[in-house]
Amino acid sequence: MIDLFAFLLSLLAFNCFALAKNNHFKDVFNTRPSAQQRKLLLAVAWINILLSLALCVSTQGSYGTLLFFGYTNLSALIIMIFCSFLVKYIKLLSTLTLIAMIISAIVLAIN
Amino acid sequence: MKDKFLKTMTWVHLWVGLLACWIVYIVFYTGTVSFFRDEINLWNQPAIHNIQAQEQRIAAQKDQLINTISYLSQHAENAPNWRITLPEPRIPYLEFGYAKAKEPGQRRSQYINTQLDPNTMQPLAPFRETKGGAFFYQVHYQLYFLKAIPGRWVVCIASFFMLIAIVTGIIIHKRIFKDMFNFKKNKGSRAWFDAHTLSSVLALPFHLMITYTGIMTLIFMLFPYPAQSTYDNGVRDFYNDTTPKNTLTNNAKGTAPLVDITHILDQVYTKWPNADIRQVLISKPAMAASTVTVLVSSDKALRDQIPRIIFSGASGELIAKSQDELSNSKALYEALNSMHTGRFADPLLRWLFVLGGVAGCIMIASSCMLWAKRIREKNKNTPPSFGLKLVEGLNLTTIMGLPFATCGFFIANRLLDPMLAGRADKEIDAFFAAWLVIAILALLKRDTTQWRITAYLNAIACLAVPIVNAFTTEGNIISYALNKQWALFIFDALFLLSSLIFIIQSKKLRTVKSPANTAKNKRHEVSND
Repeated sequence: MIDLFAFLLSLLAFNCFALAKNNHFKDVFNTRPSAQQRKLLLAVAWINILLSLALCVSTQGSYGTLLFFGYTNLSALIIMIFCSFLVKYIKLLSTLTLIAMIISAIVLAIN
Repeated sequence: MKDKFLKTMTWVHLWVGLLACWIVYIVFYTGTVSFFRDEINLWNQPAIHNIQAQEQRIAAQKDQLINTISYLSQHAENAPNWRITLPEPRIPYLEFGYAKAKEPGQRRSQYINTQLDPNTMQPLAPFRETKGGAFFYQVHYQLYFLKAIPGRWVVCIASFFMLIAIVTGIIIHKRIFKDMFNFKKNKGSRAWFDAHTLSSVLALPFHLMITYTGIMTLIFMLFPYPAQSTYDNGVRDFYNDTTPKNTLTNNAKGTAPLVDITHILDQVYTKWPNADIRQVLISKPAMAASTVTVLVSSDKALRDQIPRIIFSGASGELIAKSQDELSNSKALYEALNSMHTGRFADPLLRWLFVLGGVAGCIMIASSCMLWAKRIREKNKNTPPSFGLKLVEGLNLTTIMGLPFATCGFFIANRLLDPMLAGRADKEIDAFFAAWLVIAILALLKRDTTQWRITAYLNAIACLAVPIVNAFTTEGNIISYALNKQWALFIFDALFLLSSLIFIIQSKKLRTVKSPANTAKNKRHEVSND
């Protein structure tokens, strides 16, 4: 479960990185992001990616670092596919990622 | 100044990349395949397909060792060496054997091995002779048809070129992160450019890590001078010095019975209570100078050399063992090596490594294609030069030839008589024969039609692998799914998926060729503009 949570953090981070770019934000929301929105998205992205790294390293040490880089590769690939071919589903992806993150966080907290 | 620097970097990126791209592609392709080395070995040996996973694998190891050593004591007491390799999660069978005395001039002893089902401890059906995953692994680090050392030098130089190409690529692609999630399909060479940058950026940490650590695995071949200046026999002595070795019983004379193995195993379990024993090596089993070496899995630790502990075979006394805490330099070397081989990886990390490897293949292939496409576009009205034809031919041969050759290798594994003498070499012959077919096709023509034909050939070959497997063994992709033989199921499923990808590729190539579609695309582009 901790692996899933670390991956979801990375996925959300790359989702935010992509949405912080004018063209992708416009593709999804039909408008350009405000400067504040861009800053917020970038902040969320960086916090998530660092949390993912911290989680991987704290739970699995150096092995976790390799896992983290694997997660970033996979996340970037998924977001690239959505941004290039499945733009209309990005909102759905973001929602599902958040829901999955909450569920996995609850399960982790319970265990 | 800045422009000149960027121009120089671009030139270096272009030419360094182009010169080494085909060899690097072979290295990346075979390296990626080698992450599934054990699964390939499993698929290539139908005798071990139906072994059930052990429920208490580690708990059963002690009894397995007692039984096999008891057997060897009775049947091979005077053999110079015994070797027992225990099952692992990815290698489901137990193998034990003894070495025959070396013939004059023979470098390594030949082992007479027996393979057992660890659940029943009954011998398995005879194994077929095959190199399996070891073939791809060998091609990965020293190519084929070349002697070992020259082959490794070629791979090393190509890896250096790759590292330079990656670093210069990061410098020249200024918009590398800006365009990170963009892929513009159907835009000619621009699509190839996007494929190149995307596959580079998405797995950039992996590309840097795997290329750098790849060079590090052969660092003592590239840079043997410190070892040569310190030791009489150079690197060989250096390796001996850093590996636990027998210094206690070497001079013991005469015969002595082998100590009860439980006495040794008790010491192993005292040191490592949850030890997952990989292998036990016993040298000179009936002599006073005998040693018992126990190799234990390092689990997820970033160590390439398996921890080992050496006992006297006559007294059971501890002789030597791997260091628990490695020195900084050794820890670094071990970590870099293990990161490259990924032997410690669990299925999740292995698949993530494979994803990085596939991205690497796409990065290299798209760069080769991009070079040829751009030159074609630039010189539309002039006949293609020899250099362009050469690049296009090598592109077709390498990119489409390797998957076809791989299929040839696996189909040969199933179709060749299991008892055929030298069949392992014949499987490899099939690999290169299949590759030669694509090379000949590339020699004849290198246009879209030829790419489409080779895509069809690959689609058929990929489809043939699971079909031939179903007709020549007891299992097939459906039975694998029903019996939860996931390694075999995924193996066949990957070939079906590859077949589908090649079919899509051939369909796409047909639309590229069609003049009507070209016109339609042009109209579409105009309306978009």
